[in-house]
Amino acid sequence: MGFVLRALQRARPAIGGRVSTFRWITSTPDLHKPEGAAAAEPAAPEPEIPPRTPVGGARVQFSNPDDAIEVFVDGYPVKIPKGMTVLQACEVAGVDIPRFCYHSRLSIAGNCRMCLVEVEKSPKPVASCAMPALPGMKIKTNTPVAKKAREGVMEFLLMNHPLDCPICDQGGECDLQDQSMAFGSDRGRFTEMKRSVVDKNLGPLVKTVMTRCIQCTRCVRFASEIAGVQDLGMLGRGSGEEIGTYVEKLMTSELSGNVIDICPVGALTSKPFAFKARNWELKGTESIDVTDAVGSNIRIDSRGPEVMRILPRLNEDINEEWISDKTRFCYDGLKRQRLNDPMIRGPDGRFKSVSWRDALAVVAEVIHQVKPDEIVGVAGKLSDAESMMALKDFVNRMGSNSVLCEGNGPNPQADLRSSYLMNTSIAGLEKADVFLLVGTQPRVEAPMVNARIRKTVKANQAKVAYIGPPTDINYDHQHIGTGAETLVELVEGRHPFSSTLHSAKNPVIIVGAGIFERDDKDAVFSAVETIAKNAKVVRPDWNGLNVLLLNAAQAAALDLGLVSSPNDTIPSAKFLYLMGADDISLEKLPDDAFVVYQGHHGDKSVYRANVILPASAFSEKEGTYENTEGCTQWTVPAVPTVGDARDDWKIVRALSEVAGVRLPYDSLTAIRARIKTVAPNLLQVDERELATMSFELKPPVSQKISSDPFKPAIENFYMTDSITRASKIMAQCSASLLKK
Amino acid sequence: MAFTMRSVKVPPNSASLAEARSRVIDFFKKSCRSIPAIMEIYNLHDVVTVSQLRSTISSEIRKNAHLSNPKVIDMLLFKGMEELGNIVEHAKQRHHIIGQYVVGREGLMQDASPKDQEASEFLKQFYTSNYF
Repeated sequence: MGFVLRALQRARPAIGGRVSTFRWITSTPDLHKPEGAAAAEPAAPEPEIPPRTPVGGARVQFSNPDDAIEVFVDGYPVKIPKGMTVLQACEVAGVDIPRFCYHSRLSIAGNCRMCLVEVEKSPKPVASCAMPALPGMKIKTNTPVAKKAREGVMEFLLMNHPLDCPICDQGGECDLQDQSMAFGSDRGRFTEMKRSVVDKNLGPLVKTVMTRCIQCTRCVRFASEIAGVQDLGMLGRGSGEEIGTYVEKLMTSELSGNVIDICPVGALTSKPFAFKARNWELKGTESIDVTDAVGSNIRIDSRGPEVMRILPRLNEDINEEWISDKTRFCYDGLKRQRLNDPMIRGPDGRFKSVSWRDALAVVAEVIHQVKPDEIVGVAGKLSDAESMMALKDFVNRMGSNSVLCEGNGPNPQADLRSSYLMNTSIAGLEKADVFLLVGTQPRVEAPMVNARIRKTVKANQAKVAYIGPPTDINYDHQHIGTGAETLVELVEGRHPFSSTLHSAKNPVIIVGAGIFERDDKDAVFSAVETIAKNAKVVRPDWNGLNVLLLNAAQAAALDLGLVSSPNDTIPSAKFLYLMGADDISLEKLPDDAFVVYQGHHGDKSVYRANVILPASAFSEKEGTYENTEGCTQWTVPAVPTVGDARDDWKIVRALSEVAGVRLPYDSLTAIRARIKTVAPNLLQVDERELATMSFELKPPVSQKISSDPFKPAIENFYMTDSITRASKIMAQCSASLLKK
Repeated sequence: MAFTMRSVKVPPNSASLAEARSRVIDFFKKSCRSIPAIMEIYNLHDVVTVSQLRSTISSEIRKNAHLSNPKVIDMLLFKGMEELGNIVEHAKQRHHIIGQYVVGREGLMQDASPKDQEASEFLKQFYTSNYF
C-alpha cells in the first residue's frame, strides 16, 4: 500500500492540479517509446523536487569523512559513504525503489530486476540493488525509461504468477500485489498456460504454494546465511527454475518461520494461520515475547478475543527483525488447556468450580493454620515483575522468607547484577572476536542470541569454543570438552584454547543458566571468573563475561530478591503457593502440604494443586519483564482474559486482604512505585540498565568443582513452558523436527 | 392462553392506593397461573421449579414495595403485564427466561453478602471483574 501512496506523492508535482483525473496505473503512450519521448522534450524544465525524508528513517554514518561521495537522486544531491549501492543512496534520498529480491539483511542477489533505475550515461537501466554508487552519479528513478523497465519486469513476473489473490493468505500484505498496483500495466498480453510447480513439504510451520514463487531467492539466502541450515536451494534453469529442498526433507531450523515474513509473495505462508484470517481484520498489539529470556519484540495480531498470529517487531538491539519459531507459533497454546474458573479439589480428588470469594476464603483460612516458616511461594518462569513483587510482599507479611523463582537453582547469587546478566548486551556480541560457551547451547536456549553469534562468526571470523554435551551448533566451532575439567585446564592455562582467548581483542564468555541448577555452581562460576580475569575479558571498555538466562522471569526475580533455595524450603513446606511454577520438582514436598496453583494453564503442577486460581497469560496483561541483558520491557494486553481469570498481581493483592495482611497497592502505578524502592531499573522501560559492580568484589569460593559433565538445560526446544506445552503446533514440531 | 392475554386492555388509572394494591395482587395471581404454561413452552422443568419462579415474581414485585404513588404503580403494572404477555406469547427465547429469572439471581444475593461490608473497594471490584 505504501507504494501506491508514494507513487501518488511522486506524481503530484508533475501533474499539477489534475490529481483527480490522473491515472498512474496505465501504459501511457510515452512509455511505449520512452527513448523518443525523452529526446523529444529535453528542454522541459526539471520540476523542483523538494528534499525528502529518508525511507524508513534510514541514516548514514560516516566513519571517515573522506569516504563520503555525492550522488544525485532525481536531481537532488545526497552525501553517502563509499560502497553504498544505488538503491541505498536512493533510500537516503527518500526515494523508495520497488524491489523483490533485495533485503537489507541478506546478501545481494540482483535477480528480480524490479529495482531498475536510469543512470545518466549508462546505456541501459541498471539494477540499483547490485550497482555500487559512484561519485557524481546522476540517478533518475522516475523517468519513462525506469517506469517502462518496471512495467516490463512486472509483466514478466505476473506471466507465471497465478491469479489466486482471493484465496492467497498473503493477500493484503503482498509485495507483488502492491507493486503491480503501483508500477504494473493495467493489462497483460499473455495468453498461454501458466506454469505450475509442485508444492514442497517444509514441515508443520511453513506452507508452500510454489506456483506463486517468483524466484527471488530471499528464503534460500535467509536459510543459508542467517538460519545456518543448507536446506533450501535453487533447482533447474530458465522457466524450470524451482525453489526447494533437493531431496524430500523438512526445514529443520529454529528460525524457519522468518521465511514467511521475508517471502514477498504468497509462496511461503504460515501453515497454522492458513485461511484463518485476513490481515486487515486483525488488531496489532506491540508486545514482548516471554517464551525465552531474550524478550523478543513482537506484534500480537488478534481478532476479537483470539490471538491469530504473532509477528516480529524491529528492535536492532534485541531480535533485529527475526523471531524464533517457538515465539511465532506458540500462540495456539493460549487457547488450549486454559484455567477459567477458581477451583477447589474436593475430598473425592476432583476439582469443583467455586466463586472467587470462596476460593480466596479457603486459601486464607489454610494459610493461617500453618507456621509462618512453612509457607513457601514459588514464582514461575513466565511471571512478570509486578506479580513477583506482590508475591514476595505477601509471603513476607505472612512471616515467611521463602520466596523463589524457578530455574534460579539453590542459593542464587543476586548480590551483583553482573553475575546474572548478559553484560556484553546482545547487540554488543557483534564486536566480539572469540566466544567461549560454557554449558550453554544458545541455539535452543536463546535462538536470537545464537543468530547474533552466527552473524559475528560470519562477519568477523570469530572463533567459538564450546564446553558442554554434544550438540548441533550451526557455525564453525571447536567442541573442547564436556565438563568442568576443561574449565580447570583453561584456568591453569594448559588448554590450547587459552592462547586464543588471551590473544583476543574482545573475548566473550557466555555461561548458561543451566549451571544454576548444579550443586557446584559457585565453583564453576569462580573458575569462569578466573579465566575471565586471566584473559582480560572484563576491562573498563569491554565486559565480555555473560550469563545467558533461560526464562523471562529470571532476571527480574533476581533483581527483586526472590532468592531462597528450593532444596531447603520445599521439603519442609506445609503451604506452597505456586504462581505459574510448573517446572519445579515437587517430589520432596510433604503429602499433607496444601498447594495453591495460580496460573493460566492446566499444566504439570495442577495435578498436585488443592486450589486453582486462574490468572491471565502474557497476551492478556500489562506486565514488566527484564530480559537476559537487563533491558526492561512491557507486555501490552492484546486480548481479554479467559473466563473468570484475573491478573496475577491482583489475585495476590486480593488474597492478602482476605488473609488479613492487606498489601498497600491497588493499582499498577502503585505497585510499580513499590518496585521502584526495590529495583528502580525495572521502571526504566526499553532501556538497558548496566551492571556497575564487577565480579571481583565476590568473596572467595571454597567449593570444589565436581567432574560431572554439563547437562543440556533444555530437552525440547519447542516445549519449555506451560503455554508451549499446551500448543498443538509445538507438539507437531517436536514430533517431526526433533526426530533424531 | 395467548389470545386471552392479548385481550387484556389497559385499565383506567387507579383511583386510590387500595385499588392499585388489589390490581397488583390480581397481576400476581394471573402470572402465577401462567407459570405452568411458561414452564411448558420454555421447557424449564429441569432448571427451575414452579415455586422458585413464583418467588422470583414476588421478589420482583416486592422490589417496588416502597412505592406509594398509584400512578407509578400503574405504570410498573403495565410494564409487568407487557412482560408477562411477551413471555406467554413465546416472544422470548429460553435463554432470556433463564438469564433473567433463573440464574444470576443467587449472584445478586451473593454480591450482597454481609462479609463484603468491610472489604476494600479493590476487593469488591476484584470479585466482579478483572478490568478496573
